[in-house]
Amino acid sequence: MRNIKNNIYKATSISMLIAATIVAPGCKKAFLDVPQQAQTPVSQFWQTADDANKAVNAAYANLRTWNNIAFAPIAVESLGSDDAEKGSSTNDATYLNLYDNFTVTSTDGQLQSFWEGQYQSINLANQVLDNVPNINMDANLKARYLSEAKFIRAYCYFRLVRAFGDVPLRLTIPKSDADYNLARSPKAQVWAAIEKDLTEAAVVLPQSYTADDLGRVTKGAALALHAKVAMYQQKWADVLNYTNQVMGMGYSLIPNFEKEFRLENENSSESVFEIQAAIVPGNAAASNSQYSQVQGVRGVTGGGWGFNVPTQNLADSFEPGDTRRFGTIIFRGTTTAEGDAIAATGDNPMYNYKSYVPFSLFVSGFNEGAQQNLRVLRYSDVLLMNAEAANEQGNTTQALSSLETVRARARQGNNAVLPRVTTTDKAELRNAIWRERRSELAMEYDRYFDVIRQGRAAQVFGPKGWKANKNEVWPVPQNEIDKSNGVLTQNIGY
Amino acid sequence: MKRIYSISLLALLLTFFYDAAFAQNVTVSGKVTDVANGQPLIGVSVGVRGTTTGAQTDADGNYRLSVPANVTLTFTYVGYVTQSLPVGSNTTLDVKLAAQVNDLQQVVVVGYGTQRKVDVTGAVATVKGEELAKQSSPNAVSALQGKVAGVNIVNNGAPGSSPQVTIRGTGTVYGNTNVLYVVDGVWYNDINFLNPQDIDNISVLKDASSTAIYGIRASNGVIIVTTKRGRKGKTTINYNGYVGLQKVTNQVKMADATEYATAINELTTTNGSAAVFANPASFGAGTDWYKQILRTAFTTNHQLSVNGGGEKSDYNVSLGVLDQDGIVETNSYKRYTLSLSNNITPLKNLDFGVKLNGSYSRSRDVNNTIFHQLFGAAPVVPIFNDNGTYGDPDNGSLGFRLGGGSNYNPQATIDFYNQRTERYSFTGNVYAQLTFLKNFKFRTSFGGEFTNNQNTNYTPVYRATNAQLATQSSLSRYRGETRNWIAENTLTYDNRFGDHKVTVLLGQTAQREQLYAYTLSALNVPAGSESSYFSLGTAASRNIDDAGSTLNTFASYFGRINYSFKDRYLLNASLRRDGASQFFGNGTYRNLPAVGAGWVISQENFMKDQKVFDALKLRASWGRVANAGVPFNLTIPSTTTVPAYVAIFGAQQNPFTGTSISSVIPPFIVAEVSEGTDIGLEGTMFDNHLSFDLDYYNRTSKGAVFAIPIPASVGSLQNSIYGNQADIRNRGAEAAITWRSNSRGDFNYSIGGNIGYNQNKVLKIYSTLNTTIYNGGTGLSNGALATRTMEGRPIGEFYGYQVAGIFQNAGEVTASAQPNAKPGDFRYVDTNGDGTIDGKDRVVLGNPNPRFNYGINTNFTYKSFDLTLDFQGVAGAEIYNTNLAYRFGNENFTKDFYDNRWHGEGTSNKYPSVNLGTTSNSAPNSFYVSSASYFRVRNMQLGYTLPSNIASKLKMQRLRIYANAQNAINIFGYKGFSPEVGGTPTNAGLDANVYPLFATYNFGVNVTF
Repeated sequence: MRNIKNNIYKATSISMLIAATIVAPGCKKAFLDVPQQAQTPVSQFWQTADDANKAVNAAYANLRTWNNIAFAPIAVESLGSDDAEKGSSTNDATYLNLYDNFTVTSTDGQLQSFWEGQYQSINLANQVLDNVPNINMDANLKARYLSEAKFIRAYCYFRLVRAFGDVPLRLTIPKSDADYNLARSPKAQVWAAIEKDLTEAAVVLPQSYTADDLGRVTKGAALALHAKVAMYQQKWADVLNYTNQVMGMGYSLIPNFEKEFRLENENSSESVFEIQAAIVPGNAAASNSQYSQVQGVRGVTGGGWGFNVPTQNLADSFEPGDTRRFGTIIFRGTTTAEGDAIAATGDNPMYNYKSYVPFSLFVSGFNEGAQQNLRVLRYSDVLLMNAEAANEQGNTTQALSSLETVRARARQGNNAVLPRVTTTDKAELRNAIWRERRSELAMEYDRYFDVIRQGRAAQVFGPKGWKANKNEVWPVPQNEIDKSNGVLTQNIGY
Repeated sequence: MKRIYSISLLALLLTFFYDAAFAQNVTVSGKVTDVANGQPLIGVSVGVRGTTTGAQTDADGNYRLSVPANVTLTFTYVGYVTQSLPVGSNTTLDVKLAAQVNDLQQVVVVGYGTQRKVDVTGAVATVKGEELAKQSSPNAVSALQGKVAGVNIVNNGAPGSSPQVTIRGTGTVYGNTNVLYVVDGVWYNDINFLNPQDIDNISVLKDASSTAIYGIRASNGVIIVTTKRGRKGKTTINYNGYVGLQKVTNQVKMADATEYATAINELTTTNGSAAVFANPASFGAGTDWYKQILRTAFTTNHQLSVNGGGEKSDYNVSLGVLDQDGIVETNSYKRYTLSLSNNITPLKNLDFGVKLNGSYSRSRDVNNTIFHQLFGAAPVVPIFNDNGTYGDPDNGSLGFRLGGGSNYNPQATIDFYNQRTERYSFTGNVYAQLTFLKNFKFRTSFGGEFTNNQNTNYTPVYRATNAQLATQSSLSRYRGETRNWIAENTLTYDNRFGDHKVTVLLGQTAQREQLYAYTLSALNVPAGSESSYFSLGTAASRNIDDAGSTLNTFASYFGRINYSFKDRYLLNASLRRDGASQFFGNGTYRNLPAVGAGWVISQENFMKDQKVFDALKLRASWGRVANAGVPFNLTIPSTTTVPAYVAIFGAQQNPFTGTSISSVIPPFIVAEVSEGTDIGLEGTMFDNHLSFDLDYYNRTSKGAVFAIPIPASVGSLQNSIYGNQADIRNRGAEAAITWRSNSRGDFNYSIGGNIGYNQNKVLKIYSTLNTTIYNGGTGLSNGALATRTMEGRPIGEFYGYQVAGIFQNAGEVTASAQPNAKPGDFRYVDTNGDGTIDGKDRVVLGNPNPRFNYGINTNFTYKSFDLTLDFQGVAGAEIYNTNLAYRFGNENFTKDFYDNRWHGEGTSNKYPSVNLGTTSNSAPNSFYVSSASYFRVRNMQLGYTLPSNIASKLKMQRLRIYANAQNAINIFGYKGFSPEVGGTPTNAGLDANVYPLFATYNFGVNVTF
């Protein structure tokens, strides 16, 4: 017994010694050559059309991230206006009030989030624009991908230049760390870069896509955004030109204003550009839009957090009988067209109807309303830009006609309300168009910068604390100034 | 088997009788036992002074020897004081040997070998297994708390969790901060698979020269664990068991329902709305959520071991069962451990052995946000409504519309949280050791770890409250498989030439470490099928993610020379060359040398006549070690494919994979290298009553990986780039002193104290960019960050506004530099005097890195009673009470805050109003920072050992019963749950959601047959 045991041990120990000698020579370079785990090295990327496609996809997807779609845009693009206020529980996220009453300082986190969000998207677009040209692939498809990226880059710079004025203008990916610390470029240069991207994109982009590609940027989207960019610079001839082109592309307003914002009308004939979002089963991280959640009705399953709520001022601003009042605002104690009864005891008297998703469509494990696309550019915006530009250019007839198209839909067959605007007085018509913009585009992140563009901010927002020569732009995030060792400068007044 | 040993022993004895026949000697026999416990000592060398005649004691401690009359016998045994006794006319000479108390003569385990402590030139501390076993901590590392100077241990109370260990300060910001554990020659990052009672001894290698032999994994210090092996001699069976309970201590009292309602009314009116609660007093005391969710938890632990061996083999087998409930309802942990050690000497010069540890544990987990939920939970909300449904904090139709952070009913949270963790672990090694040419030893070993860690989470369809519900069931399972192996070959040459003693070690190691981890998930899995059936879930919802898998290999060569002259002058030099697969080109290999020198002053002639020092040694060492555990995969620019990059297109809104590059050009990263020096003085005094160990050390991590913040305009998701960019220094001193009674009477005692002082500093940052790292945002709203790490300062200091007081009225606000403040808000100091309060006014508020940690360990025995009293503490550290301002709206307040809050002019100039959640009030500031110093009675144990005559009547060798209390008394000024809060280097000491502190009371029995 003992001998057998002994032999086994001997045999084992000898084989172990052999094993050890085998391991030893194995410890050369080859043993240390371990492939990278679970990630594709950059050197294997940018090879195929599929790579190009994936890179463009990433740029699109990033538009619906938290920084780009939730609190930061609410703070920077909405709460300053007279349309919206913080909402939610009185005691929750009170820092958002700083944007409503213009007391925000450069260290507030939402400024940083907004800044980061835009530049992250810009980087993803730049990745495409720098690398896809070198991929050997179908030339038409390549040109389209590049144009899609240009649109996304232009859209993000548009949001930045509106919010901050001069901003660092990064049009290529940095080649080395020497390129990281970029100074702010004068806003004229930023506007020029935006326009260049949009001009180039509009030439290439198709007017429409097959069903599978629905949601990608179209020629119409590039022209419409270009029109808006031109409008912010009072380039009225350009606005007229681009909007005229879009109006020749077959867009139309869908009959019911309220229904335009429901899931079944995503990417409708009225839609010029939407940020696509969906509930992807089994992939909550890909279903990450919180656009609807943060604005949803509080205190009910499937609702949301109740931020960015309409103000009484907005509710009162609609003309009598305007169906858009109902299509823009959910009043507590009422029942939505989709059948959700809103408790009369709710925290907030009003919620944003445009971001609303019926409560029954809530799927646990996902953000409330994660399915909701964000309507970035609608055809009615194009029509109103066209009206404003035509009026500025002296083409009153066209101005009235475009305006009427928008008002006619809002009437929804009830000719007793929203009388046709007939004035030919330039200033009166301008005011009518501006008023129409508010009613049509309320709660769509347009109003705040629109009023500043119109030069009326001191008059309209002054009572809330808005001050000229300061609040035209928000402060540059302090953290960015700190990191830049002073290369970035602060806006005047902050 | 036994007969074989007896025969060989007989043969041995016959040899001596044969010698004796020629010298006409007397025969002396006797028994050698341990003075402390009367146990026979086996293998004691019994020799005749001045001759080569000798014998060894047998398995019962008996010896028999034929010697000339009137000689003196010497009894020598490793670890015991040598005794010399004249034979005289005795033919029976029973001897009691005392354990060697001169610490410097003890043999200690060092890297790849053992040395007498007196020959060690680095800083090595040892703790015996029996010391650890007395702590009745289920985790071996946790039991080390307070035992070793310079070792800071932060316990995480969750059952089955491992504490955070820092030896001599934090030397890395983004690299691996884990100590390297070497258990019987195999390397681990964590040893929670070990039963502390299976440990024979632990060596803590603290300085760079001691750890340098472990090279690229050694920069955070090394803890060498040697598990128990068999003792030659009679088989002993040992049972050790305890039952115990755990109870929350130092619990923070929260505001009750009436106080809560009052506070929320104040908060709401401050923010311009009408009061929420018409009659706060109507709620009475309301729900005490902590009382509901926390409990007194029970623990039982059993360990059975069999130990023994003969001349050519020894074995130790032990089985352990731990059943521990957590202090949160539903939380439980069970662990089964098996430890096996078997060593065989089949041939005279060949040793062969195997060590195997198997462990299986399973736990029912709690949602780790439960502690913050409890903190915020509204006491006005009932646990259950009268109709049996869950109390809902945010349901308009039921009356409460609290929302925000108090949105949860904690009872519902734990009721519908079904995570179970299971862990199988097999670790161990086999070795063979061949002795040849007298002085050479070749050892080869192969060991490793196979661990399967799995947690399964099933959520059924349920509806508890408006915010706590699931409209579809979901099943997810994480499984991580660790498959590590290590193969080592070492050759040792050991010899003495006159006054020169030389030991040379040459070695080679190959290691492979792989983690294969994946998460499976599926939706709409029917209830009851959670055991395995993802395939029952909706097809489109099934998801697999294995992106967290890693694979690293290491190839290493090392050598070491130990030289001593006259046992007086010691020299030690080593070199390890480590290659690691993460690195490339020039960075692949690192050469890590170390040298140490020692001067045993007590061996000098001039020390001969003094009586004070029994031993005295001065030592100095320098070494270079490295940390390969720097952020993985950074050295190759890689693409990012994340769900957030999935684009949605098409009429059906289908997902399409997105991939891009979200990081910037990554710099070339090599392992962090640290260089450390250590100067130590150690000795024993006053007839070995006093032993001491004093150390000064200075260790600098060079090229530590540091994040260089990059402008957000670069568009990187990371917001920073990592590079070998910083030098970080830890400098400090340690002292450990022990006094032992060394008496052989009824009363014996020892009192030991240790203290470590450490100073942490980022010495230098190479980058010219603004390189301050802000972090510590956990639990802070709106992007606020509470820590700062920059050149010239410690890692992760708290940073924020200095509070000067509280605004008492509108007039004070108007007159201040904070025009937007409200009465009741913090009044911040305009530190730069520019007339505005902004980010530039922030100052250093504290340092989470403890400057002092200390322990006092005592043992007393009187006849059959023994008492252990251990104290332990930390001083010179700060903590940030994130919980206080971790608010989204209507969370509850602590009773302390409620009672002291500002609620009108003159009510407080220290505590603000209830409006804590605003950007300005929740901004990191001095109000939230307080001292993290604490002092605790770490362990009290009173034991009684049955007198051996009674025990033997009961057929036992030994029976001991004991009562134990751990963490029973804690003294600290901090107003949160526990001053013991860990965290990553730049995110440490922030108390946002910690496991409450609890005390453990055990009653145990230890029987040896």
